[in-house]
Amino acid sequence: MLKLLKLEYYKNLNYRPFKIFTALYFAILTVLLFIGLVDLDVFGATINLKEQGIYNFPEIWNFTTWIVALLKIFLGLIIVFSISQEFTNRMFKQNTIDGLSRKEFIGSKLLTITIFTAISTLLVFIITLFLGYQYSTTTESAKVFEEIFFIGNYFVKLFTFFCFLMFLSVLLRKSMFVFLGFFVYWIAEGILTVIETFQKVRGLQEPERLKVMKDDFFITHLLPLESMSSLIPNPMMRLKTAKMMGLQYEFTYPVESLIACIVWSGIFIFGSYWILRKRDW
Amino acid sequence: MSVKNLTKKFKRTVVNNISFDVERGNVYGLLGPNGSGKSTTFGMLLSTINPTSGDWYWFGERGTQPDTLKKIGAIIEQPNFYPYLNAETNLKIVAEIKGTPHTRIDEVLKTVGLLERKKDPFRTYSLGMKQRLSIASAMLNNPEVLILDEPTNGLDPEGIIQIREIISNIAKQGITIIIASHLLDEIEKICSHVIVLKEGNSIYCGRVDEMTANNGYFELKADNNTQLLSALEELQWFTSVKTEGEIIKAQIREDASISASALNQKLVEKGIFLSHLTKKKLSLESQFLELVKNTNYHA
Repeated sequence: MLKLLKLEYYKNLNYRPFKIFTALYFAILTVLLFIGLVDLDVFGATINLKEQGIYNFPEIWNFTTWIVALLKIFLGLIIVFSISQEFTNRMFKQNTIDGLSRKEFIGSKLLTITIFTAISTLLVFIITLFLGYQYSTTTESAKVFEEIFFIGNYFVKLFTFFCFLMFLSVLLRKSMFVFLGFFVYWIAEGILTVIETFQKVRGLQEPERLKVMKDDFFITHLLPLESMSSLIPNPMMRLKTAKMMGLQYEFTYPVESLIACIVWSGIFIFGSYWILRKRDW
Repeated sequence: MSVKNLTKKFKRTVVNNISFDVERGNVYGLLGPNGSGKSTTFGMLLSTINPTSGDWYWFGERGTQPDTLKKIGAIIEQPNFYPYLNAETNLKIVAEIKGTPHTRIDEVLKTVGLLERKKDPFRTYSLGMKQRLSIASAMLNNPEVLILDEPTNGLDPEGIIQIREIISNIAKQGITIIIASHLLDEIEKICSHVIVLKEGNSIYCGRVDEMTANNGYFELKADNNTQLLSALEELQWFTSVKTEGEIIKAQIREDASISASALNQKLVEKGIFLSHLTKKKLSLESQFLELVKNTNYHA
């Protein structure tokens, strides 16, 4: 464990893309969390997200984790660069010849992923607590911790996302291909979702259609990107403006998405290991 | 170590049913033209390529475990290091993987003469320095076996000499070395055993001196070459007698052993006086070319 940690430390410490993106990520993350304090100019109207209640317990957990999760692509870039350079520099082969097992290789990358996810989660947790106690209308403990599960979901969401990128990096090996592959997959998943939805609601009239959309079970919702995004739903419905417009915010804890994410992480990790084993280097 | 019936098929068979044994303390040369399966064989023995069939044993253990690799030093094709890291950090990574103390790093860097440059990024190194760094890296764990795949490939004469000196120093320490190279005179100088590969088949496996021992040839010249030619053919000591310009070359049969003086005496008895007579042994290079050419006809 310590050995793998040291390896990753030596490999990444002086790797420039790694340093740049790490610094950028944590800087932007911190700044973005304070976004509610400035007045935003949207279509000529001034919107202050703080006034809209994003810093109120318990919604704040939903808001902060959702906003910050948008930045995960930065950390994703680091993961992709750091893994794909092992292949483009033929270092995976060299490490293997030097006596690093495939398991240890995957283990060292998982360690990096876990550390990044943990630091990011911890940072969001601390800043959210700070902002909440500073600006929330209520600070009763019950309200404060009511939706703290979003922090856990955030961790799972990031971890699954990075495992997915690790899998793509091992599969495609060049960072350019990984990004292409990711976008192709993103679009493919979108198309599949549309197809399934279309098949379910075809020929149905308005009230039934809504009912099907709401209550039916969609297989495509269990696909990686979809289940990741349902872990933290878009919180814009919880803005005061949205509430005033009469939009209902309904939230049931996405158990099946959570399970799907954990299963996908497992598949990605073992898939990566399997590819490393089976391929000739 | 021992290799049994090792086979690798990509779209075609690259390594076909190779078997050989390597004994401790000897230096083995793996010879073969480009594309004859040398690197693929090494790849399988070093666990980076999955074999189609066949077995091998390192130190009596079947296959290649990560722990086995820690007793082996290997240089393959080209020096592989993290280009953005300096020599020291690169070797720290290797030392971590192999479980070697970091104090060895300066020692091996000194051996290959890179101690002064240890803080410079790998990408700023010349090819010769890169190659020397990979030797340093392979030597880091005091390996029992050293595998070298074309260690002098692409180097200038000075670099080749440096590498050769380093290798012969290592060989003196009694480390088992398996070396693949095109440079046959080099193999001849360093190696005690050779394995010759051609199109994935092992066509010779044994001691270098045995490979060169049996076959020798005479170079002869007389005033009357036609007479000499027919006399030589009558003798039945030779597999072939050829005229090359002024000189006649007579290839000695494998089961015959004749000295130059015996041949001279025989010819004098026949009334032929030579103006030129030398007995020569084929160099490894011509032996090798001969071997490769011969199997071509069989195939």
